[in-house]
Amino acid sequence: MDVFLASLSALGQGFANLTWQATVMLLLGCLLLYLAVARGIEPLLLIPIGFGVILGNLPLAGLSAQDEHGVIKLLYDAGILTELFPVLLFIGLGAMIDFGPMLANPMVLIFGAAGQFGIFLTLFLALALGFAKQEAISIAVIGACDGPTAIYVTSKFARDLLPAVSIAAYSYMSLVPILQPPIMRFLTTKKERATVMPAADKKVSKKVKILFPVVAGILTILIAPMGAPLMGMLMLGNFLKESGVVDRLTKVSESTLANTVTLFLGLCIGASMLGANFLQWRTILILLLGLVAISLDTVAGVLLGKFMYVVTKGKINPLLGAAGTSAFPMSARVVQKVGQKANPRNFLLFHAIGANTGGQIGSVMAAAVMLAIMAGMGIGPLP
Amino acid sequence: MDVAFGVTMMVMGMGVTLITLYLLSLVIGLLVKLFPYKAEEEKQE
Repeated sequence: MDVFLASLSALGQGFANLTWQATVMLLLGCLLLYLAVARGIEPLLLIPIGFGVILGNLPLAGLSAQDEHGVIKLLYDAGILTELFPVLLFIGLGAMIDFGPMLANPMVLIFGAAGQFGIFLTLFLALALGFAKQEAISIAVIGACDGPTAIYVTSKFARDLLPAVSIAAYSYMSLVPILQPPIMRFLTTKKERATVMPAADKKVSKKVKILFPVVAGILTILIAPMGAPLMGMLMLGNFLKESGVVDRLTKVSESTLANTVTLFLGLCIGASMLGANFLQWRTILILLLGLVAISLDTVAGVLLGKFMYVVTKGKINPLLGAAGTSAFPMSARVVQKVGQKANPRNFLLFHAIGANTGGQIGSVMAAAVMLAIMAGMGIGPLP
Repeated sequence: MDVAFGVTMMVMGMGVTLITLYLLSLVIGLLVKLFPYKAEEEKQE
């Protein structure tokens, strides 16, 4: 009988060790799964994260990112601590991007820089709220609207913040269609929004498309070598695609590689969201600062757009500035939608896609520059 | 709050990002001039 009772009690150990924080996290994991499946919000990422949250918070399961000898800890150490996952993801991103619209109208690259302004203003705010320098950098980079870049920088400087930063970066990317339009409407007049831009029928030669990733990779890495893993892999992926001679590698990069890494990345991040660490005021503060960062990116982009509108005497639609963030292609679609609402004859999508790809380069460049400046100040990454 | 750090990051970070992307746009302009789109490419496509 004793043996029977002992074995029975061992079976119930999970329930006995279930804390209120773990219970809240299990509910949060279920909520993420619901949002992904029922609402279709970023399912590729929210399903692995949501399931990771559930697995990581089940007591005694040994599946959190902190459980020694656990399979997820193994993935976490190999892919997140080494920064391998975000870097590999960039090969896939590069293979998916078509820089054509940006190459046809390189001026839109400037919007890609303005779209990063929120990063640097949020850095100020985070410092003012008492976050350490490395933490402030990691929080500010949420404003890049670029999940892999945010994860890369945070895993270098503030691993404790990784769950909150990644959740913020990815959720705000999907919230761009809700966040940006009110800011765009508030900062522009109907006349400005209705500005019709000439049809973008300029074509770019294949040679330019092939040379761009090589030249851009060399130039940007020479300026900010610390960002080489991100920029280098992004340009490698794009070169695979544009070279046109390695279809198999391109297909693997944009599908199998990107999907596999996204699965493991999401799972590891979810499994690192442990109740005791995640359910803190700091997490809410980080989520709020991320929101501020992305809003400020939009504000800076639209204001630059207004400046260009004045300088070019009304030839550039200021809404284009909002596409300078890295949320691809959501920002570009938002610009098209808001522009067409003001003037049904308005077709801004091609121009906006150009600004949006410029934003992707801009976000990686901004992160690379920050890393380089930090290194120059003697603030190195975590061991 | 470390104001010097914040200001340095902002001025240098935003400045270098802006300059780099401007340089890139110049390089793209140069590439487009050196290798203009030709009608034959359209036929190949």
